[in-house]
Amino acid sequence: MPDWKKQVRGRMAGLNLPRELKDEIIAELAAHLEDSELMHGADHLSQQVPDWRVLCNDIARAQSREVPMNIRTSTVWIPALATLLGASLCLALLQLVGIRPRMWWTGDMALTFYWPWLASLPWFGALGARLSHRRGATTRRTIASALAPALAMLITLCVILPVGLLIDGYSSIRLAHFAFALANWVGVPGLALLCGALPYLRASQRGSVNKLSP
Amino acid sequence: MKRRIRSKIARGSGELAILALLAEQPHYGFEIARQIGERTGGALQFTLASLYPLLYEMEKRGWVEGRWQPNQAGRDRRYYSLTAAGRRQLAPLRKEWRSFFQALDALTGVSHA
Repeated sequence: MPDWKKQVRGRMAGLNLPRELKDEIIAELAAHLEDSELMHGADHLSQQVPDWRVLCNDIARAQSREVPMNIRTSTVWIPALATLLGASLCLALLQLVGIRPRMWWTGDMALTFYWPWLASLPWFGALGARLSHRRGATTRRTIASALAPALAMLITLCVILPVGLLIDGYSSIRLAHFAFALANWVGVPGLALLCGALPYLRASQRGSVNKLSP
Repeated sequence: MKRRIRSKIARGSGELAILALLAEQPHYGFEIARQIGERTGGALQFTLASLYPLLYEMEKRGWVEGRWQPNQAGRDRRYYSLTAAGRRQLAPLRKEWRSFFQALDALTGVSHA
């Protein structure tokens, strides 16, 4: 018979509750797994908890005496806002101190590489992903939180393009400018942000397939 | 939206099932899950991950209370029993679900299907 208390304790390390209460919860869940193994055998166990991080969050929320914060707010909006604010302030600061972007011209259009800013983006992507991951967010929400600055720009550009076409009429040059703007402000920054989020996405996938070993 | 409605229905039915079961006699978590699964022919099934957050939430609301005591095999288990508040909650919940099913039946004729 495995030491269920030890296994549950290891998986619930992130459960942030008073020690006495946490010990009691661990003992109760371990007892449940013990009974489950006795009755159904080891095959049944992996179905009991698909994702331990989600369970930790659900228990913490159920035990919390405060009004629980809306899940979407804590897993997406706050992390996304942190990423967006961090990336925007960093860009503003770099412009303030006079650091110029490197331009790569093709005809009269240019790809803009703001290298110091691009180098900082993986950190902001990691910040958003970490805040989201810590609250037990799904992989999709973690990605959305990390990519917030790129997504905000994508939405802005998608609003600007039809308005521009409506006002000035259709032209292939305008579409080409739009494509370059997409690459400059969505594609390249998005990739940099995603690089920072990768460790948390891997951890998130590991967490969701974290099987019990009887 | 569809998922939210489904999860609210599952949560509400889970609360009613637990309250109704504990109204008969106290049970510990594993027994609650086993009894509900058996009595509903597997239609309602609780896993560890779905049962305990709900039990703790109900305990926080004061509907149930848990107490450690040995089971028949002599192992310590946390037995949940219904409190007076939980007992008071059961009747309106039953009524609410009965109305819900009657309304659904009137609309879709599910009970005649």
